[in-house]
Amino acid sequence: MLNENEKERYHRQIMLFGEDGQEKLKTARVVIAGAGGLGCPVATYLAVAGVGYLRIIDDDTVERTNLNRQILHWEKDIGLPKTGSAGEKLMAINPDIEIETVRITIDEETAPGLVRDADAIVDAMDNYPARYLLNHLACKFGIPLFHGAIRGFDGQATTIIPGKTACLSCIFPKAPPKEIFPVIGVTSGMIGMIQANEVLKYILGTGELLGNRLLIWDGLGSSLETIQVERDPYCTECGHIKGSQMEKLK
Amino acid sequence: MKVRIKAFARFREIIGSENTLELDDGTSVLSALESLSEGSKDFRDACFDKEGAVASHVVLMINGKRISGRDREAGVLHDGDELAVFPPVAGG
Repeated sequence: MLNENEKERYHRQIMLFGEDGQEKLKTARVVIAGAGGLGCPVATYLAVAGVGYLRIIDDDTVERTNLNRQILHWEKDIGLPKTGSAGEKLMAINPDIEIETVRITIDEETAPGLVRDADAIVDAMDNYPARYLLNHLACKFGIPLFHGAIRGFDGQATTIIPGKTACLSCIFPKAPPKEIFPVIGVTSGMIGMIQANEVLKYILGTGELLGNRLLIWDGLGSSLETIQVERDPYCTECGHIKGSQMEKLK
Repeated sequence: MKVRIKAFARFREIIGSENTLELDDGTSVLSALESLSEGSKDFRDACFDKEGAVASHVVLMINGKRISGRDREAGVLHDGDELAVFPPVAGG
């Protein structure tokens, strides 16, 4: 049940999807993997929307070079863990939700226990090995994965519903080479907003998700387009998931 | 025949968002990309690996349809086709 404070806080969006929709957000558990360029805007907007439980995972500390895009981390936070810095701001932004911060490296040992109970996983990582691990677990546990990645003025996003849509390995069978990537904060913001919007739509059960579509943002050309992608029947991650799982996820 | 090459992200920075190539009928995807790289060492470095094959992470599409396996190089282009080249981005 929403309390009076919540009804007031979320009044303008309850107009969109009703108290039932707001209840869905309140009871949702979302894991945000990464508290960097993508994780900051995603967490901010899921928090203000009233997603009831956010688990934010990151192992890094704040550096000055992060501050052009990682908007939850401020000058005063340099040297502090990103999880603590993000958690402090998010709790101030919305004290009515629960924020769990976990300062840990996402690897094969730690990740299963961190994502297993989630309703949704947000890929806010900066490298493909970690993304493939999240994708593997999303497929294994049947949890939707919301992918985003950025470089310079360019970004991409897609939504993965295991067993129903192309997974990350179907779309990108091979990882691009690792690099220290140039980036401007607005690109993180754009793609983070797309991811947060997808998460909200998924929880609310409304709109059309980016399943089987890869969204490509060209910030220099101010153009946004989606390209069709499809499941690889021989995909090592999701090829084994059959229709019964699809039904379960509907 | 004329084939349009549509480039995304870093490839667009190097060769521009759209190029039209005049090619012989039946030209392969690999040949089309090689002819594009003749005028740009940066494109060659970004699109091909050291062995001269199209880098494995580069996503290729003909007329919006993803091509995979052998077609990534041997696929045949036809007049009016659009070949899209997309290097996935990795930052977060």
